Amino acid sequence: MVSAHRFRSIGWIALLLVCAALVMVLAFRVNALRSQVHRTELQIVALRKEKLYLETEVETRANQQQLKLWNDVEFGYVAPTAGQYLSNERQLAAFAKPDGPGSPAPIRVASADDAVAAEAAFPSVMSGLAAAADIAAPVVTADEDDDKPAAKPADAADRAKATANLGARLAMVTPLKNDGKSKTGKTDKTDKTGKDSKAKDGEKKAALARSMKTSKDEAARPGKGAKLAAAKSEARPGKAVASKPEKSAKPARGGSKPAP
Amino acid sequence: MNALTASAAIATGRVQLANVRQGALVTARLRALWIMVLFVFVTLTACVRIVQLGLFERTPERASLAEALLPSRGEITDRNGTALARAFASYSLWFNPKALGEGGAPLVKTPEEVARALVGIFPDADYADLVARLKAGKPCYLRRRVLPEDANRVFALGEPALEFPREEQRFYPQGSLAAHVLGYVDEAGKGHVGMEQVLEPRLLDPAYRGTPTALSIDARAQGALEDELGRGMMETNAKGAAGVILDADSSEVVALASLPSFNPNRSDLAYNDLVFNRVSNQVYELGSTFKPITIASAIDAGVVTDLAKRYPSVPFQIGKFTIHDSHNFGTSLNVPEALIHSSNVVLAHVADLLGPVALKHTMEQLGMNERPTIELPARGFPLWPRGGSEGGKGDWARLTTMTVSYGHGIAVTPLHLASAYAALVNGGIWRPATLYKVDPAHLAPGRRVFQASTSARLRQLLRMIVVDGTGRKADAPGFRVGGKTGSAEKPGSGGYRKTSLIATFAAAFPMDKPRYVVIVMLDEPQATQQTSGQRTAAWNAAPIVGRLVPRIGPMLGVVPDAHHDVDISDLSPLVGSGEGE
Repeated sequence: MVSAHRFRSIGWIALLLVCAALVMVLAFRVNALRSQVHRTELQIVALRKEKLYLETEVETRANQQQLKLWNDVEFGYVAPTAGQYLSNERQLAAFAKPDGPGSPAPIRVASADDAVAAEAAFPSVMSGLAAAADIAAPVVTADEDDDKPAAKPADAADRAKATANLGARLAMVTPLKNDGKSKTGKTDKTDKTGKDSKAKDGEKKAALARSMKTSKDEAARPGKGAKLAAAKSEARPGKAVASKPEKSAKPARGGSKPAP
Repeated sequence: MNALTASAAIATGRVQLANVRQGALVTARLRALWIMVLFVFVTLTACVRIVQLGLFERTPERASLAEALLPSRGEITDRNGTALARAFASYSLWFNPKALGEGGAPLVKTPEEVARALVGIFPDADYADLVARLKAGKPCYLRRRVLPEDANRVFALGEPALEFPREEQRFYPQGSLAAHVLGYVDEAGKGHVGMEQVLEPRLLDPAYRGTPTALSIDARAQGALEDELGRGMMETNAKGAAGVILDADSSEVVALASLPSFNPNRSDLAYNDLVFNRVSNQVYELGSTFKPITIASAIDAGVVTDLAKRYPSVPFQIGKFTIHDSHNFGTSLNVPEALIHSSNVVLAHVADLLGPVALKHTMEQLGMNERPTIELPARGFPLWPRGGSEGGKGDWARLTTMTVSYGHGIAVTPLHLASAYAALVNGGIWRPATLYKVDPAHLAPGRRVFQASTSARLRQLLRMIVVDGTGRKADAPGFRVGGKTGSAEKPGSGGYRKTSLIATFAAAFPMDKPRYVVIVMLDEPQATQQTSGQRTAAWNAAPIVGRLVPRIGPMLGVVPDAHHDVDISDLSPLVGSGEGE
């Protein structure tokens, strides 16, 4: 009994000692860290002072009078004259030479992103989240609506494809109206705001995607063809289809077939 | 018996032996105890110290970082943040004669050799003074503020007695640039002359000195102004030169120079005549540069309504005094011609019509009767003409009004003139000049001196003076400079001295929308080859402006444009041709 009691008290003492030792170790560590911080601060101060010193030295060596001397001896720079300034674009344009006979044709750079052009031609009335939802809506609708393999590429069709050129979009509206009407509900499902204009926009896009799918022979890459067609037909709306290679033109033609 | 005795003896011996042994044991134990006590004590001490260090070491102050980086005196910068004055631990050159030990010579070489070598490194050092100090054998500064490279060269002399302690001192990285604006700090740490004196409480306040104080000065414009003034001074052998560039709208002083200047880094040499500020402290009769002010006052008061009206330009007598021009301009001139040719006679006639009350009122509104309004401590009081009545405070006499109209009989500082020109061209608002950077949203309210229409007319007239008149050499292409020359004879004993002139050019640019006013003044310029043998402002002060404006314009945001200008087509037909002063 006695030994058990002693054992317990020794145990308590040992535990106390261990705790004390741990506390001490912790305290040591904390203080060590503090000293380290202090040392680092001193280092920062020393470095900042050194930086100020170097900065001042550079400023002293490069002061106005010194720069002036160097300029007189070495560089000889002078202030810019009025002729070296252009106040506006008109002055810049005045330097251009007018086209003379036999002068080379001006280089015209094609617009790379037709989405931007389409947006500019037919600006969306929405912005922000609503617009984002609007972009997402037709793709989803097309997927649900049609289980054909062509649905996949339509899903992948980026915004540039979805927003075809103005001519194509106008052409889509009439023949696919019935088709679109059946989808209105679905469009509304995805777009809870249920705005009329948005729904219509969704319809149009869905219709476009659908019309692309309906072209049988080029199911594999309708997207590519549509994009090319859109880009080209934008540049020359009338001749777009005829001038294109058959392969890539087909889906676009499918799209633009219903045009009056 | 024997045995008994023997055994007893042995027993006694044993007892003694036992006693000795015991004693030795006790001693040994005692010693061991002592050693143990010592060990325990040392161990305890070590433990206590460890615990003390580990647990109770004073934590470093949290604010130490900021405090350590707080300069002893706040930094002064220009408007773009370029340091103009900062507290800086720079090297000094200290002579320690005991560096080579007590007794014996303090230097390896002779003092003369060392002094010669030092003069080779510091060309402005005084050889005799150095020799005397080195021979005296007392510790002293040989030089304060030594550049690191110079310190290296001194170190290369191999003299252990020459030491380089680093001491926190006031340092001006730009050297003598804007010396009169900044002033200097003496060895006791007290600011003198310029903003060092004015800002002293702020620069020393621990709450503020951590953040730099921005002045309105632009170091680049200041450098260009000092450079061009120095060149002009050299070309004309002038005694001195002064210049100021003022923001026309906010009246901020963008540059202010008074030459010859001093080097604030050499505070031991700084206190001499050169600290005198010609821009804010010296008053001059600035002559013809006052003429546009008179004309503005006359237009404003409705005295001059028709600029085509001609006034007689033949010399005329007022009492004992004859008012005449530098040249003969014919019998009559109109106002634009009078300004272009700088005719005193016509201005006197205009002032006579204007009357003393209105002219005096205009001058008072422009602050010509009080010290210039600027923060600098050195501000000169104008020589304000005494009125004929009320103990000198009444209206000016007729002659006084006439002479004031062309800038004589009234002496003001160039800074007065700059503020007046700012009001003349900026739409008519006079604002006090300031050396503090002003937020454009919080401009000083100022006071209206001229109507905006008068100001617009004056812009045309000033531009015409540069296009067709005496200011032609100031016409920097594309910068639409407008301004007025002024060449006033200095008063001496027995009247004005014909050959001692104050040549001034007061300008503003660009005249279609004035942004900056530039005043350039030369004190007693001489006729030299560079000035084509002339000593008037048209030949010496105007070219300075002509060279200065293209240098500062683009830096201050004024783009030269040959296609823009203030429209002077309505006034051009009124002007003939001729030369003025």
